[in-house]
Parts: sequence; structure tokens; C-alpha cells
Amino acid sequence: MYTRVALLCLGLSGAAVIASAQAVSAQAADQATLDLGKKEESRSCVPCHSLRLIHSQRLARGAWVKELDKMAGWGTAIKDRDALLEYLVANYGNDKPIPAPDMTRNGK
Amino acid sequence: MFAAFLAAAAARPIQSADDAITVAGKRPMILHNDRPEDLETPLRYFDTWVTPIDAFFVRQHLPRPAAIDPAAYKLTINGMVSKPAELSLADLQKLPQHTVPATLECTGNGRAFYTPKVPGIQWGRGAVGNAEWSGPRLSEVLKLAGVDTGAAFLEIDGADTGVAATPDFVRSMPMAKAMHPATLLALKMNGQSPDIHGFPVRLIVPGWDGTSWVKWVIRLTPAAGESKGFFMNPGYRYPKFGLPPGSPPKPAELEVIEGMPVKSSLTSPEDQSKIALGPTVIRGFAWAGEKAIERVEVSTDGGSRWRDAQLSAQKMLFAWRLFTLNWTPADPGYYTILSRATDTAGRVQPIVPAWNPSGYLWNGIDRVGVTVEKG
Repeated sequence: MYTRVALLCLGLSGAAVIASAQAVSAQAADQATLDLGKKEESRSCVPCHSLRLIHSQRLARGAWVKELDKMAGWGTAIKDRDALLEYLVANYGNDKPIPAPDMTRNGK
Repeated sequence: MFAAFLAAAAARPIQSADDAITVAGKRPMILHNDRPEDLETPLRYFDTWVTPIDAFFVRQHLPRPAAIDPAAYKLTINGMVSKPAELSLADLQKLPQHTVPATLECTGNGRAFYTPKVPGIQWGRGAVGNAEWSGPRLSEVLKLAGVDTGAAFLEIDGADTGVAATPDFVRSMPMAKAMHPATLLALKMNGQSPDIHGFPVRLIVPGWDGTSWVKWVIRLTPAAGESKGFFMNPGYRYPKFGLPPGSPPKPAELEVIEGMPVKSSLTSPEDQSKIALGPTVIRGFAWAGEKAIERVEVSTDGGSRWRDAQLSAQKMLFAWRLFTLNWTPADPGYYTILSRATDTAGRVQPIVPAWNPSGYLWNGIDRVGVTVEKG
């Protein structure tokens, strides 16, 4: 009885360890992709417009795909497109809260 | 709807000096983008019939063109004309000058209220303003070049140009609207230089969506057909038939947007604000594209009972009317305030505006929540 319980615990904790390791691995891979995506955003988007235009949006993956298609059609050479898409979906997906916009300073 | 509006209402001051943005000539505005500039008017500025330039919203599709030297400015008129012309600013100033009060509203004003979300600037209530526009009639300018009677459309180009292969901002409209006596080439806005709003020459298309009001006009081209550029197709089109929310557009069933719908917006009290128990004034504005506002009703109980609001005197086509309703809540607590406009053509604001893939023409009955507290 004790042995079975102990084994069960071991089994569970073993599974948890494996799952945790996988999560860390997946997260690490994702983080690398996200970092690459962020870098690509600076490289390909900033020459034409500031990032507020992107960061104020909350779009589903399909809508981000369309935006990238549109920008590519307008002459943007996107090098790491997959990474950029993952970065946009992860940070500005339609499941994320809507940010409060900034105010400009008084220009008068 | 509320979450998006709350976001706009709760716009936070910029914390870091590194990302502080100042736009010359503008009061603090809600910043959607700084390059190019997309600035929304905070509701607290909407307390006058004429919206001051320093509080007027800004929508730029493309970077602002390099500063235009008024002495060197030329307006080219070519295409289906008998006398192609290049007019100077002085030529335009010599023509009879007319003033048209008209409301200008971004086609996407209220986009933030649509569910599901759509791409584009997430405007709340403030991508709209009312100004007095002055300049020669477009019809009189076109007559100088002798427009061919077979020209059914007018193509208009602004001095702004796109980066890389971004399409140029070119629009076109039926010649009938171009020749309408209220359609102007404005040289003045509220008696001043239009500045960021299109100096030295801005097209005024009263009652139509803001996209038609081309800034920095440098070319007019009468043509047999409609312009085919991006900003006419697929840009700025609206479904001819209702679509299930979230569904893709059917390109063959999209139409160019022209006249704007009837609409009202509440400006005070602001959504989710707190007010003291006692007499208060509910305020807002209403406009109806090419029609005039006939009536605005306000409810303070979520729509069970409606009362007629007081309307400002200027009942005219193209320009908004301000409305007020004196209200003394009987008890403290949370109240849902609604406004509903009706125009001279009998159009009434809907409870639920039609969702569309680009989030244009939001005109739902307006709604704010307010907490009344014992003083």
C-alpha cells in the first residue's frame, strides 16, 4: 500500500518534472522567438511609423496576418516574419487588455 | 464598449521624458500615434459649438508633407478639362470666399466600441469636431479650367506621400458633390490657418466622412470614372449588406462611404465618473451628415423613459447641434445615461450599429454610467 502510494507520488512528481521541463523548454524557445520578433518590429516597422500604431491594437492572429500582408505589399521587407507574427499575437492579441492611451503634452 | 471608452477616458499622462510627445499648437490630446499624428479630442474640450483648432482631432494616414511655401504653392487642374491650369494661392484668394460651418468626423470614430475588435486606430468619441471653413467653392475653381461635361468624377490628390510603396493618398468623388455649393477649398479654419489640418488648402466635403476631406490639396483631375487607388478600394468601403460580426468582407459587396449617419455623443458627465447629488447638466452634441438634427432624447434610467433634450439654435445641414438636459437625480446610486438623435430625414440612432470589418460609422445610441453620491 505504502509502496503503491509512494510510486504514485513519484509518478506524479516525475510527470510534473517532465511537464515543467517541457514548459521551460517551450517558454525558452518562445522567448527567443518573441525577442526576435521584437527586434524585427523595430527593424521593419519603425522606419515608416511609430510603434504606438501597433501597440494600441488588440487583434486575432488572422487579423495580424492580414496586417503583415498589407505592410509587405506596401514595400516593407519583413525578414523574420514568423517571429514578428508570434511576437504580435503574444503581446497584442485580442485576448489582451486594452491599454489606456497616453496624453500629449501641452503644445500651446 | 465600456472597456474601450474607459481606456480612452482614463488616458494617462506620459511618465517618462523619453516618450513624451508634444504637438505644436495643440492642447494635451489623447495620443493614438505620434508618427504620423493621430490625436483624439478629450471630451472635456467639447464645450463650444465651434471646436477650437488647438483642440481639434488629427488623423494622418501618411507623414505630413514638408512645409508648403504659400508663395510657391500651385494647384494643378488637369484631366478632362478644356483649359488645364496651375493656380496660385493668390488666385484662390481672389475668388469669392464662402464660409460653411460643418462637422468633420473620422470615418473610424467610435471604432473602439465594436466587438469583435477590428484593426485601425481605436478611436473613442473624440475623432470629430465642428468648425467654420472658409474659401472658394470647388465648383468655381473647377470652372476656371473648363470641366468636360463627360467628367463624372473628380480625383483629388494631397501633397502627402507614402513611405516606401505605401499608396499615395488620392480620393475621388462624384462630380455632383464636387459641384455642390457647400463643397469648398478651405483656406481658413475658424478664421485661421488650417495648419496641421491641411495648410494651405483643404477640401471641405460637408456631411461626408473625413476621408473625403483631402488635406494639402495640390491636384484636381476631372475623370470619367472613379479613382482606383487604395484609399478608394479596398480602403474606406462599407458592406452594402449586413455581415455577421467577425466575418470577412465580401469585396464585391463593399461600397464607397459618402454621407454620414445620424449620431449623438454624450460629453458630460463622463463615463464612470462620480457626481454630487443635486442639479446637474447632461451635455453632448449630435449631427447627421448631410441632414440636420431634429431631436435628441436622453434617458437617465437605462432607456425606460426618455426626455427631449434642449438643442442649440443652429439647426443647419452639415453642422452639429449641442444638447443639454437639466437633471436632478432623486437618489444617490449608479445611473445609466443614454442619448438618441433623430434627424430631419427621420433617421434615428440604432441601439446596435452594424458591425463591419473596418469599424466605420459607429453611431449607436450613446451610453455612459455615472455614480451619484450624497454631497
